[in-house]
Amino acid sequence: MAKRERYRNRIEMLQGTLDMLILQTLRWGPQHGYGIGQAIRAGSGDVLQAETGSLYPALHRLEKQGWIESEWGTSEHNQRARYYQLTAAGKKQLTREHSQWNEVSAAIARLMNPGEGEGQA
Amino acid sequence: MSKWPLVSRGRRNRELEEEIQAHLAMAARDRMEQGDTPHAAELAVRREFGNRTLVQEVTREMWGWNSLETLWQDVRYALRGMRRTPGFTAVAVVSLALGIGANTAIFSLINTLMLRMLPVEHPGQLVELLFKAPGQDHFNAFSLQSYEHYREHNHVFSGLIASADTPFAVHGDGLEPEIVHGGYVTPNYFSVLGVHPALGRPIGPEDGSAESPADVAVVSWSYWRSRFNSDRAIVGRRIIVDEVPVTIVGVAPSEFVGLEPATRQDIWLPLGPHHPSYATTARYWLKLAARLKPGVSIEQARAEMAVLFQWTIEDEFKTNDDRSVRDWKMEVQPAGAGLSHLRDQYAKPALLLMGVVALLLLIACTNVASLLLTRGAARQREMALRVSLGAGRFRLLRQGLTESLLLAAAGGLLGILLAYWGTGALARIIASGRERIDLQARPDLVVLLFTAGVALLTGVLFGLAPAWRASGCAPASSLRDAGRAGETRLRRLFGKSLVVTQVALSVALLSAASLFVRHLSNLERLDLGFHRDHVLLVDLNPANSGYDRERLSRAYQELLGRLEAIPGVRSATICAILPASGVGAMRPATVEGYQAKPGERRFLSENWVAPKYFETLGIPLRMGRDFSFQDQGRLRVAIVNQTLVRYFFGNTNPIGKHITFDGDDRPFEIVGVVGDMKSTDMREPALRFVYFNMFQLGRNFSQFALRTAVDPAAVAGEVRRTVRASLKTVPVAGVTTLADVVDASIVPERLMAMLSGLFGGLGAVLAAIGLYGLLAYTVARRTNEIGIRMALGATESAMSRMVLGDALGMVSAGLAIGVPLALWGKSFAASLIQNLPVKSGVPVVFGVAAMIAVALVAAYVPARRAARVEPVEALRYE
Repeated sequence: MAKRERYRNRIEMLQGTLDMLILQTLRWGPQHGYGIGQAIRAGSGDVLQAETGSLYPALHRLEKQGWIESEWGTSEHNQRARYYQLTAAGKKQLTREHSQWNEVSAAIARLMNPGEGEGQA
Repeated sequence: MSKWPLVSRGRRNRELEEEIQAHLAMAARDRMEQGDTPHAAELAVRREFGNRTLVQEVTREMWGWNSLETLWQDVRYALRGMRRTPGFTAVAVVSLALGIGANTAIFSLINTLMLRMLPVEHPGQLVELLFKAPGQDHFNAFSLQSYEHYREHNHVFSGLIASADTPFAVHGDGLEPEIVHGGYVTPNYFSVLGVHPALGRPIGPEDGSAESPADVAVVSWSYWRSRFNSDRAIVGRRIIVDEVPVTIVGVAPSEFVGLEPATRQDIWLPLGPHHPSYATTARYWLKLAARLKPGVSIEQARAEMAVLFQWTIEDEFKTNDDRSVRDWKMEVQPAGAGLSHLRDQYAKPALLLMGVVALLLLIACTNVASLLLTRGAARQREMALRVSLGAGRFRLLRQGLTESLLLAAAGGLLGILLAYWGTGALARIIASGRERIDLQARPDLVVLLFTAGVALLTGVLFGLAPAWRASGCAPASSLRDAGRAGETRLRRLFGKSLVVTQVALSVALLSAASLFVRHLSNLERLDLGFHRDHVLLVDLNPANSGYDRERLSRAYQELLGRLEAIPGVRSATICAILPASGVGAMRPATVEGYQAKPGERRFLSENWVAPKYFETLGIPLRMGRDFSFQDQGRLRVAIVNQTLVRYFFGNTNPIGKHITFDGDDRPFEIVGVVGDMKSTDMREPALRFVYFNMFQLGRNFSQFALRTAVDPAAVAGEVRRTVRASLKTVPVAGVTTLADVVDASIVPERLMAMLSGLFGGLGAVLAAIGLYGLLAYTVARRTNEIGIRMALGATESAMSRMVLGDALGMVSAGLAIGVPLALWGKSFAASLIQNLPVKSGVPVVFGVAAMIAVALVAAYVPARRAARVEPVEALRYE
């Protein structure tokens, strides 16, 4: 039992991060799945890659949770694609996740670099 | 959930496909813009994207399942499970079908007789009037004078109607002559009932007066359809009814077939002098029904009718100085579901049978529950796996219930088919009785709802416990232990208690069946006072033969001689009233040498017979002589039965004494004494009977009876030929046997005995299946325990004894519960049905013995299997 809990926590954390990145990307307006992937990649200086095997399940999960919604539209190259956009609930969720993220990353940073923490602040 | 549940899974799949396609297209385009060839770009994009099928699959998982899809999943899962174990499924479905089908069939009988409302306006306001003499059944039979009195003087009814049911001989242009059942009705009949004809007009006040009614008729919808081909020109057609030409003025609506439940009438005529009882002061020939005024309660009606009934009692008193007339009572009963005549006969048997089939259904439920439980145990490993993969307890419970409900639904569907067939069989059995009964085996909404309700209840009843058990298994221990020894004590106890319940219910059912069968056989073996076998009955119809009384009398005497000459015929006679089919007329009389007390009931039952009547029917002649043809023209003679002799003469010799009937100054001399016999009801004691020589009194009756040395059916053809040869203008109206007539009078008992016997047997078989299933399963589970024991020196017979002991333990527990249940059921049945042989312990003993025998048979195979376990095999099985 205990083992399964740990495993689930790890997955949830990864999911949560990707979810947040997707919501963040959509702040600038509706985008399709490919565009979101590209934006995450470009915005992170090619450090973060959203694997399609994670990206699409995440998109569909977020939509089911009501944080984003989708409709079919056409790209600048006249390609029919499914565009996702933030809902009001999604914006709130993003704010929540963002502040959570700030706390967590600060905490991790303190743990990883015990000496530098004071200096930076 | 947002809009998800509304979008079909197929469409969402297509959209996902397109979404990914768009992704690939855009990625390829970007690469080509960076200078890749289209081919290279596509390869790269595909590589980058990864396993497309997998991506789609994991994405789809995000959608989850909506409730409908989950249900469908459960159904498919259940169906798969059912297919995988066809034996189990077949036994379960057939058990349930038997239980549900039996319930549906009996319920449709009850529905027809007691629940279904008449298709009239506000049936709840209808009541019927009945009179009841102390110690007798009630009857809806009144005189015309009583009817008129009530009609004129009551303040509680908005309408009072009378009808006289009768078979009519109908013929006419393009109509085959036939007997059509119908009735004479008062002119307000249709208007009080609120029955509006589908065509033409009803019989109404315009159809003449009661003394000279117009010759009109209303026919039923089905008669119109079958005999007139739904010809709308039927209104105005003339047909001949009982030799009177009448004009059809209307067709009743399709659903209306008279006031009796399950009895169809096809033609109605205005009540008037055409009816043979009309001009007389005949007392008991009209059925009365009434509609309560709005706001008048049935109690008010009872109070007023009790007062008006005094007039009828006074009227009766004029000719009947029997004091018990004072105790006659008027009953007013609700008649929204039809008049009570058939209900009185069949309601109690039907309710008892309902109890019997409810027991059967309970047994079927327990049986399927224990089968499910056994199988659930076998699937414990699978359940545990599902739990560890994250299936919730509720989900498993729901899956279990889905499966049981599916089984119940399949059982219900098959049960409806069985019930359809069963209702037809039921109708045929009842139709062999004296009553005309039209029990339609048609699907009825109420019946179907009942069946659906029963199936649903059944599914929950037998499914809940096993589903609960299955959903509650702890994965770790089950995965470790499943398929081997460890079974919880509780589960074992539960499985056993189901078998114990089945045994208990079966004992009760078998006892009830044995009780009813014994009751029937008691009735069949009852000393009727005559010999029912080998008597052929031939009814002639001389009505339009052209013979006058004298000639017919001579012709009949000749015919008797010719009939006796037929090989295989021992003797032939004629009578007015057959045994077991009526009391005939009753008249008050004075018996020589007997001083009647004032107000004493002096009525004697009469029958008119030809010589050799007693010989032919096998009624013993105790004293004196039989009638002879030479009695004609001499002093009037009579033969009396022993009950009459005991009552009026005690131990003195009645031969030569005289009987004088009131209003007739010529006495009859008693020349013979015969044994008693059962007249109307074989459940009642014999009446005081006096027989007359029909030829001496110059009265012709046409009911011939022949005692045969061979099977009566074998001479029937020759008898018909002989009649045709000697009486050309007298048709044979009917041929039957005395045995059939007698059987017809105990149809309710036969129905109960046959059905409860059938259901009792089924219940026992189901219990045996349950017991067998549990034992076989236990032996399979304990194979290695048995193997070890045998390896350690236990003998084969010890192992068999272990299994048999197990079985007997369960059966004993079942008997301990079942016997009190059976005894209670017996006294309950006795409170509904008279003369049940309840004092005898035989039925319960039979139930117990039958159950033990069944249990031993069921335990035999598992016991042998236990004895045959090879220790080495068993240990390797580990």
